[in-house]
Amino acid sequence: MKLTYDWLLLAPVLFPAIGSVLLLVIDAVAPRLGRVHWAIAAVLLLAGAAAAVPGTLPSADNPRRTLCLPPNTCLYAVDHVGVGLQLTALVSGAVVALLALPIRVPAERAAVQATLVLAATAGATGVVAARDLGSWLVMLELATLPAIALVALRARRAAVDGALALLTTSLVSFAITAMGAALWFAATGSALFSGDAVLHASNDPDSRRILVLAVVFIVAGLAFKISLVPFHAWTPEAFGGASVPIGAFLAVTSKVAALAALLVIFRGVTVLGTSALAAIGVLSALSMTLGNLMALREKKTLRFLAWSTVSQAGWVVLPLATVSSRAVRSAAAYLIVYAVATLVAFIVVTALAHADGREHATRLSSYGGLLQRRPLLAVTLALALLTLMGLPPAVIGLVAKVAAIGPVAGSRLWVLAIIAAINAMLGVAVYLRWLRILFGARKDPDNPEALHPVHQTLVIVGALALVVTSIAPHSLLQLVGR
Amino acid sequence: MVAALFAAPLAPVVAGLALVVGDRSIRSVSRHTAYIVSLVAMLASLLASIVVAYDRPVLDRQWVPEVGMRLHLAVDGISVPLLLMTAAVGVLVVLHARHEQPAGGTPATFFGCLLLVIGGGIATFLVQDAISFFLAFEVVLVPMWVLINRFGDRRDPRERARAAGTFVLYTVLGSTLMLVGILTMSFAAGTTDLAGLAANPMSPGKQTAVAALLLIGLGIKVPMWPLHSWLPRAHTVAPTAGSILLAAVLLKMGTYGVVRLVVAPLPDGVERLAPYVGTCAVIGIIWGGLVCLVERSLKRLVAWSSVAHMGFVLLGLMSGTTIGLQAALFANIAHGVISALLFAVVGGLKHRWGDDDLDTARRSLRDVSPRLSLALVIGFAASMGLPGLAGFWGEVLAIFGAWTPGGDRPTGWFRVLAMFASLGAVLAAGYALRVLRIVWHGPAEGGLPPEPEPAGDARGNEWLVTSVLSAATIVLGVIPLILLQTTSGAVDQLMAVIGR
Repeated sequence: MKLTYDWLLLAPVLFPAIGSVLLLVIDAVAPRLGRVHWAIAAVLLLAGAAAAVPGTLPSADNPRRTLCLPPNTCLYAVDHVGVGLQLTALVSGAVVALLALPIRVPAERAAVQATLVLAATAGATGVVAARDLGSWLVMLELATLPAIALVALRARRAAVDGALALLTTSLVSFAITAMGAALWFAATGSALFSGDAVLHASNDPDSRRILVLAVVFIVAGLAFKISLVPFHAWTPEAFGGASVPIGAFLAVTSKVAALAALLVIFRGVTVLGTSALAAIGVLSALSMTLGNLMALREKKTLRFLAWSTVSQAGWVVLPLATVSSRAVRSAAAYLIVYAVATLVAFIVVTALAHADGREHATRLSSYGGLLQRRPLLAVTLALALLTLMGLPPAVIGLVAKVAAIGPVAGSRLWVLAIIAAINAMLGVAVYLRWLRILFGARKDPDNPEALHPVHQTLVIVGALALVVTSIAPHSLLQLVGR
Repeated sequence: MVAALFAAPLAPVVAGLALVVGDRSIRSVSRHTAYIVSLVAMLASLLASIVVAYDRPVLDRQWVPEVGMRLHLAVDGISVPLLLMTAAVGVLVVLHARHEQPAGGTPATFFGCLLLVIGGGIATFLVQDAISFFLAFEVVLVPMWVLINRFGDRRDPRERARAAGTFVLYTVLGSTLMLVGILTMSFAAGTTDLAGLAANPMSPGKQTAVAALLLIGLGIKVPMWPLHSWLPRAHTVAPTAGSILLAAVLLKMGTYGVVRLVVAPLPDGVERLAPYVGTCAVIGIIWGGLVCLVERSLKRLVAWSSVAHMGFVLLGLMSGTTIGLQAALFANIAHGVISALLFAVVGGLKHRWGDDDLDTARRSLRDVSPRLSLALVIGFAASMGLPGLAGFWGEVLAIFGAWTPGGDRPTGWFRVLAMFASLGAVLAAGYALRVLRIVWHGPAEGGLPPEPEPAGDARGNEWLVTSVLSAATIVLGVIPLILLQTTSGAVDQLMAVIGR
């Protein structure tokens, strides 16, 4: 047996994976470099992103494969959607690294954190392309397990509580997913995610039953990681406890990994027909509704963002409740827009937490009059919130909403579509609360400092990204193909 | 002349964004600068709209292929009057805002939000692509929310927040339901083009479901009874300029959407739902009229009369006849002009009086401010449907259309509806006379209140705005043909498509 390698195609995974080892070596050779580690991590992640760019070109093969075994099975394949998700994971990882860079932590901790971020991002990019059960499972866990340590490393009571919640959930979800994977293997008799094997299994009544069970287990396991209701309970705890950049990591990079994992097995779900899809529809409707309702009452910024993540996760998987040919692309498109908007919101929160002190950024009420106090931050945050609401002037958010509802309306799933419409309304109510505080009465912290230059640059880049993509939504959405 | 297609919506939108953002980033913009910038932008937009109306250019480009959204701008006989009215009302609103700038925020933010609402309205009447239509529909939401929430009635902050929130949540729910309907249609037809949707109708059963969804969604915006409850609240609290825009632009977007997205592409669905929607419309007419007979707040009264007037528009649309459709389009424009006039006058009165309670005894308006009182008389006379004024034609023709409904609509039921609608017209006369007696004539017992009130007459921009709107009310009433002829070609075409 001889494997073929295409190193360039593997580069988006290899850069962060090898980078994480490299960081540990650097730390061993020259200990306590502190923030240098974050800088190296950001550079490596951006390099990985650059390596992924050629795959997004319309001329690129779709899908591009490597690690092929004769006669014709490839263990690594990325299509246009996959490459878009890889790019999102890498860029969001880099942003997290840059956000963490100015924050003072004990020097020995920075190296570990940066390593973990790199490893998790490697997992996220890898799971997109995994085409066999084993590496899919390993990559998925690689993408999510480091998050526990990242949350815990803030070393506060709340952080440890959050990490504990995350740990328990992760273990349960791992067990469930692994069980699902085993059943999948039992049903299809193949460790590869090949369409033929799934079709074959679904035609045979006995193995079909096992396949149904496998899909139920896998979807439930992944629902933990995407934080879909009723598997969401860890989310507010972990977000509230973690440091703000790690919150961004949980909200974006982890979500990309989990959705990518779901998309890989989604073909298996569609083969099973409407009942499996209906289950996704129910999860989606529950997440949207509960996430919005809880966010309506939340007073802490990070927990608010956690509930917002829960409801947005519902929107992300909404198109997957249909058999529409556009379902996968729509879900990926919504995820990318969500990722950009959420990252920008986290950038603003981090910048503010760093300048004014954490306690002045973690309560929603402390954003009072931000528009007068720090207009740049306020306008950027407002744009991010409008994107999440899906209202102009943030056209990109509106386009994402259209993309998410499109397959549902096209398949005439009236109930789901109406629940989505009601949640669009609830979402507006949720984010308007925060927006109103930004416009509201001014509330100054005791000793405000100037924004750190790195944070300021990220804020400006984030605002520009939202403006540009609102004028030309095509520029962002083409990442996941037509 | 394609540039005019861009200039008409973009001049106000870009100027509005520049004012809102510039106010924050560089240094605060003075009230005078904001006014001049807004006026120039609106005049440019009006000019561009006139060019578009005469030249009828077309632009069709790819925009966001991922969701099938195209940049397709054009006009026809149905949208031209709305386009011109929106641009003209926009100019008047800017003039009026110079006269009355409410507290609550900087002038640049106020003017900027006004411009954004107007720009969104103009864009709505220009786009020919269903998804872009949804986008244009949503553009007005956030600026209108800011107008109500920040610049609204200063007396009660909680009521202000509640009115703004109710407005935005109702409208978002409506427009998202509309989006679901649009996407269902465009998925079935394989195109998002409005003309394309009309050319590829769905099967009758599906049409009913989609039409119901769209009518509920758009019915919130119109507003149709029983989905109207956001309107009186929003109008009462909104600043005068915001009320004018709500009545003259935002409600029109709803009825225009009904014509484009429901009446044209879903004829079978409309035919099946027409009796129900017609019933809701007539209930709205009666309901609005009855509330107006007892309402104490003058501004809220005008808002309730809007609910009644929009009922006539819906009734005309549901009649399925050429005359009914013509009537609806006419009543739509007429209501835009009349309600803009009434809100300008009533807003001015509220500003002078400090509140708008009709139970407070005041000197008769004809003594205090003759110009305003004349405008008030013209406005309420038109509102009660007096012949020779704009309100008459739309309502009479709508009742006429409902008397002999088209297609398989139940004639008997529509005649009942037509009779009740006429009753609503009588109620309109009742409440109009009630307001005129209280405000124009003064306390019936005679004898002035002891102290003269410091209430000056309309001057400058306020006088200009009210007199232009009064003149438009009279012109539309005396020569309705200028409007009916503009729309007739497009309406005939539409009826030919429906009647297939």
